[in-house]
Amino acid sequence: MEHSRSSRRRFLASAAAAPLVLTGCNVPGFSSRPEGDDDTIVLWYWNRSIDPQLFRDFEEAHPGVTVNDQLVGGDYASRFNTTLAGQAFVPDVVALNNDISRYFPDADQFVDLYEMGAEEDRHLYLDWKWKAGETLDGRLIGYPMDTGPLALYYRHDFFEQAGLPTEPDDVTAQFAEWEDYFEAGLELQQALPGVRMMDNVPYIYLMTLMQAQEFYVNRDQVYVGDGESVRRAWDVALQAYGMDLAARVNPFTPDWSAGVSESSFASFVGAVWMKQFLLESGNNVAGTWRVAQTPGGPGNQGGSFIGITKYARNKELCFELIRTIMSPESQVRMYKSLSLFPSAIDALEDPVMSEPEDFFGGQPTAEQFVTTAKELEPFYFSPAYPIAHGIFNQEITDVVLGGAPEDVAWDEAQKQAKRELQHKAPWVKWEEAS
Amino acid sequence: MGVHTVAAPPEAPASTIQTPTRSGWERWRDRYLGIYLSISPFFIIFAIFGLFPIAFALYIAFQQWNGIGDMTFVGLDQFRYLVTDPLFRKSILVTIQIWIISTVPLGLAFLLNQAMRFRMTYRVAFFLPNVTSLVAIAIIFSSIFGNQFGLLNAGLQGIGAERIAWLNEPWGIKVAIAAMVVWRWTGYNAIIYLAGLQAIPDDLYEAAKVDGATQWNLFKDITVPLLRPVILFTLITSSIGGLQLFTEPQILVGNTGGPNNEGLTMVLYLYQQAFVQNQFGYGAAIGWGLFAIIVLFSIANYLIVGRRSDNG
Repeated sequence: MEHSRSSRRRFLASAAAAPLVLTGCNVPGFSSRPEGDDDTIVLWYWNRSIDPQLFRDFEEAHPGVTVNDQLVGGDYASRFNTTLAGQAFVPDVVALNNDISRYFPDADQFVDLYEMGAEEDRHLYLDWKWKAGETLDGRLIGYPMDTGPLALYYRHDFFEQAGLPTEPDDVTAQFAEWEDYFEAGLELQQALPGVRMMDNVPYIYLMTLMQAQEFYVNRDQVYVGDGESVRRAWDVALQAYGMDLAARVNPFTPDWSAGVSESSFASFVGAVWMKQFLLESGNNVAGTWRVAQTPGGPGNQGGSFIGITKYARNKELCFELIRTIMSPESQVRMYKSLSLFPSAIDALEDPVMSEPEDFFGGQPTAEQFVTTAKELEPFYFSPAYPIAHGIFNQEITDVVLGGAPEDVAWDEAQKQAKRELQHKAPWVKWEEAS
Repeated sequence: MGVHTVAAPPEAPASTIQTPTRSGWERWRDRYLGIYLSISPFFIIFAIFGLFPIAFALYIAFQQWNGIGDMTFVGLDQFRYLVTDPLFRKSILVTIQIWIISTVPLGLAFLLNQAMRFRMTYRVAFFLPNVTSLVAIAIIFSSIFGNQFGLLNAGLQGIGAERIAWLNEPWGIKVAIAAMVVWRWTGYNAIIYLAGLQAIPDDLYEAAKVDGATQWNLFKDITVPLLRPVILFTLITSSIGGLQLFTEPQILVGNTGGPNNEGLTMVLYLYQQAFVQNQFGYGAAIGWGLFAIIVLFSIANYLIVGRRSDNG
C-alpha cells in the first residue's frame, strides 16, 4: 500500500515535471533554487493578501536571505493542491485562504507550527482566529493573517427619513436581534417607497450562519445541519424573505454596485472587506453610509492564514519570516496599505483604527469591526463544510428566487445533505433521531 | 518515397555503399528516424496532456480522493452514485436545453450570402466575436442581463414594461447563456454555411425561378437539401461544443449554476465537484458520464450521415 502510494506520487511528480524538461523552459523562481540553498524561501500568495514590501524589508534585515515571493493568480487553491499532489515545486511558505479546513485531513503536508515554538506568539492574536488554524488533534497548520468581522452597513440619511435611530451606538442598541432589524425594515420601506431594507436574502442566511460556532458538522464530526445553528440561520433568512425586505441584488455583481449608487437598498450586513466594494460603488453617495454592530451578535466571514509546507528546507527561517510579516506592526502596515483587517490584538488597538473615515461621514468605522473581532467566540469549520453549505445555500436560493415551498426545501436539504455527505465525507457521523 | 531518392542520387553506386553488413535498424534509422522525429512532438505532447489525463481520470474514477491525501479504492461506487444523482440528471437536461436554444439560426447565414452592400463588413463583424476573449464577453453579457439594472432591463423599462430578473429565472439564465453561445458562434457557422451556399450553382435557382418557384420553394427544395452536408458538419461540431459548455455559465451564474441549478451544465458540475468540493474521484466519474453521452450523440450523428449517404 505504502509502496504503491509513493510510486504513484513519483509518477505524478515526473509527469508534472516532464513538460518542463522537454521544453527546456525555466519556471520563474525555481531555477534559482539549487538543492540545499537554505537562504531562499519560496512563498506563494495571491494578489492583495500580503504587502510585498514586507518581504523586501525581511531580506534587508537578514542579509543573504532571498524571499522568492510568487504572486499566484487564477484558481489559487487548485494550483496549490496540484503541486501538493505532484510533490514537485511545492512552495516553502504558503498563504491559505479561509477554506483552510480543507487541508485539515492532510495536515501532515504542513509543518506543525507548535513544533516551531508558535505557542509563545499565541497571546498576540485573537483567540478565535488562532484556533481556526488548528486541527482537531492540536496541530497548528495556519498562522493568523487577516480577519473578516461582520457589521451592519446602513444609510444614515434613509434611517433618519424613516424615523429610525441614526447614530451607530443607537442603531446597535435598537437592532440587538434580527427581528428588531426586520421590523424597522418594514417601517423604512413604508416611509421610503422604492427603497429596500437590505440587499438580498441568501446572503442574510450566510451572515446569520457565520454568527454560529459550528456549521453543519461539529467538532465531534457529528452532523448538526438539522440543529439549532443552521435552523436559526434558515429561519432568519426566510423571515426576511417573507417580509419582502430585500432588493434582490447579489453581492459582487454589477447589480449590487448599481444598487448602491442608485440607492435601492438602505443597509446590508457584510464583512469588513465589503467596505472596499462599497467605496468603489458609492462615489455619489459618499458621506451617507455608517457602520454599526450586526443584529444577532458578532460574526466573521473570511480571513486568511499562512503556513509552512513539509517540503520547506529551512523551516526556522520560514517561521521567522511568517512571524515577522504577521507581527502586530506588520499587520498595521498592511491595514494601511491594503485594508487587510488585523488578527493581532495590538494592531487592533493601534490609533489608526480610530481615524475618521470620510466616506462614512467621518465615523471611525474600524472601531465597530474591532469590537466585533474582540467579541467573537471560537468556531469550527469541518472539511465537509463546502459540500453541506452548497446544498443549503442552493435550497434557500430555490425558495427565495425559485419560489420553492419552505418546508419542502428544508426536507430536501436534509435529504440531499445526508446523501452527499455519506458518499463524499464518509467520516461524518449521524445521530439517530429517537 | 520522394525523400529517400533525394538523399541518394541515382548515379551514386548505391549497391556498394549499402553493404550487407548494415543492420536492419541502421537502415530503418536512415530511412525513417528523421520522419518519425519530425512528427513526434505531437505524439509526445498528446501523450502527456491527452493520453495520460484520460488514463488517470479512468483510474481515479474508481477511487475516493480529495486531491492531496491517500486514495481509497471504492470500486464502482462513484458510478453508482452518478446514475442516482439527481443533480447530474439535471445538468444533462440543462446542457441539452441550452444547446437547443443556441442552435444556430440559418437565416443569418442565408442573409449574408445575399447581394447587399458592405457584405464584407458584415462578414467580418459576424466573425469577430469568435476571436474575442470569453471572459470579456461574459462580463459584458452579465451587464446586459443584469437582474435589476442591466441593459435589457433599461430597454424594457424604456418601453414601459416590467423588469425581468434574467439571471434568477430558469429560462432567463438559459437564454442568457445561449445568447452568449449564439453571439460567439453564429459568425463561425455563417462562414461555413456561406462556403456551402456559394457551392450551389446559380443555374438551379434560375431554372426554378423560370418554373415559377417562390423564395420559400427555393430555400426548401434547393438550398436546404444541397446544404445538408454542411448543416451536418455544423451540427456535429456545435453538439460537441454545446455538450462541453463551461465558461459561459460559470462566469454568468457562478459555480453553483444559479437558482435551482438552472445554469449547471455537465462540465460545470464536473468542475464544481472536483475543484470546489475536492471530489476528484466523483469529478472523474462525471467526466466518463459526459463521455458516454457524447458517444451517444456521435452515434446519432453517424446514423443520420449514414442514412443520407445510402439515399444519395
